[in-house]
Amino acid sequence: MDIQLLISRTLRWGVTAASLVAFVGGALYLAQHGSEPFDLAQYRQFSYAAAHSADYTTLPGILQGFSRFTAVGWIQTGVLVLILTPILRVLLSFFDFLKERDWLYAVITALVLAVIVSNSLSL
Amino acid sequence: MTILTFTLILLLAAYCAGLLGSLTGLGGGVVVIPVLTLGFGLDFHYAIGAALVSSIATSSGSGSAYVKEGITNIRLGMFLEIATTIGAVCGAAVAIYLNNNIIAVIYGGVLLLTAAMQQRRKSDHDGVTGSETARRLKLFGTWPQKDGTLKPYQLRNVGGGFSVMYVAGVLSGILGIGSGVLKVLAMDSLMKVPFKVSTTTSNFMMGVTACASAVVYIQRGIIVPGLACPVMIGVLLGALTGARLLKRMNVRVLRQIFCVAITLVALNMIWQGFSGAY
Repeated sequence: MDIQLLISRTLRWGVTAASLVAFVGGALYLAQHGSEPFDLAQYRQFSYAAAHSADYTTLPGILQGFSRFTAVGWIQTGVLVLILTPILRVLLSFFDFLKERDWLYAVITALVLAVIVSNSLSL
Repeated sequence: MTILTFTLILLLAAYCAGLLGSLTGLGGGVVVIPVLTLGFGLDFHYAIGAALVSSIATSSGSGSAYVKEGITNIRLGMFLEIATTIGAVCGAAVAIYLNNNIIAVIYGGVLLLTAAMQQRRKSDHDGVTGSETARRLKLFGTWPQKDGTLKPYQLRNVGGGFSVMYVAGVLSGILGIGSGVLKVLAMDSLMKVPFKVSTTTSNFMMGVTACASAVVYIQRGIIVPGLACPVMIGVLLGALTGARLLKRMNVRVLRQIFCVAITLVALNMIWQGFSGAY
């Protein structure tokens, strides 16, 4: 298949999958907590220290939530799928450049991947 | 107010942000920030997390169509993404030391630049002689015309464009937005890429740029499920509606009104930032 078409489809399927997973999580959350009173104060002040310990900030925490079918786990998995979509698109380009023996662009693409992965490893 | 009511209001607001962002060509992220901070009174950090999610969603959502039509210059995008991703990593590293007031002033500045750039004439840069560096990097391309033919174009000033892209990446890392205005500035004004190719390639790059800092933002707890879910879905649906409307709507007047609106928002943010209101 033509690489442009492949990238185009990857992007479309990626956002669709991400939205669906997040939607399931959101619906579940509203079914469980929707009728509770909303307190805006929780979003008025952000603190790195308080937010850092939450279970939706680590990969194991998110995946565990996903496998236990918790609302938060599913929403954050949706966000992860959304983040992975452009990365997958770069990966596809990388293999395409290799196939075309375009070494210059294979290196450029690998460099972009390296920057993203090295900054993401600590999750 | 219950959680259900808040979520539905947020969903509607995100839908409008996605719609406006798509009709004006600015992207969802830029509109989401003032809606959440000025409209809902949220902390800037949460608004940035939401903007980051919207940037990735709109970039992938609308990028899908542009790539298929062959307007996006994939090589140019890939090459410049080296600069934007490194920039985004630096921006995300710096962001931790910035308080709300400084962020408000930076964001206001980007908005002002955006409003100013909206006034520029859109040029196809006919007859540009490309530079040797651009030729070696295989950055020249073709783009489809209305009559179905492909028109070749060349470009130049790769170094200048690359540098501005780094700055665009830093701003993306700090603010979570796509920094479309700087990306177009680099490609259109400096590198002389046809306008349509500049805007679609800029949009294409936003997703990857935002990804470079997104994981760090999840870890810091800036991307929270209660906001991310309605914002992601709302912005995406809004952007899809916008793309449909754009085909049979004249958005010139809307863009002018929007330009005045974002100038006012920008001045408000800069003023409040300097007076330490956040």
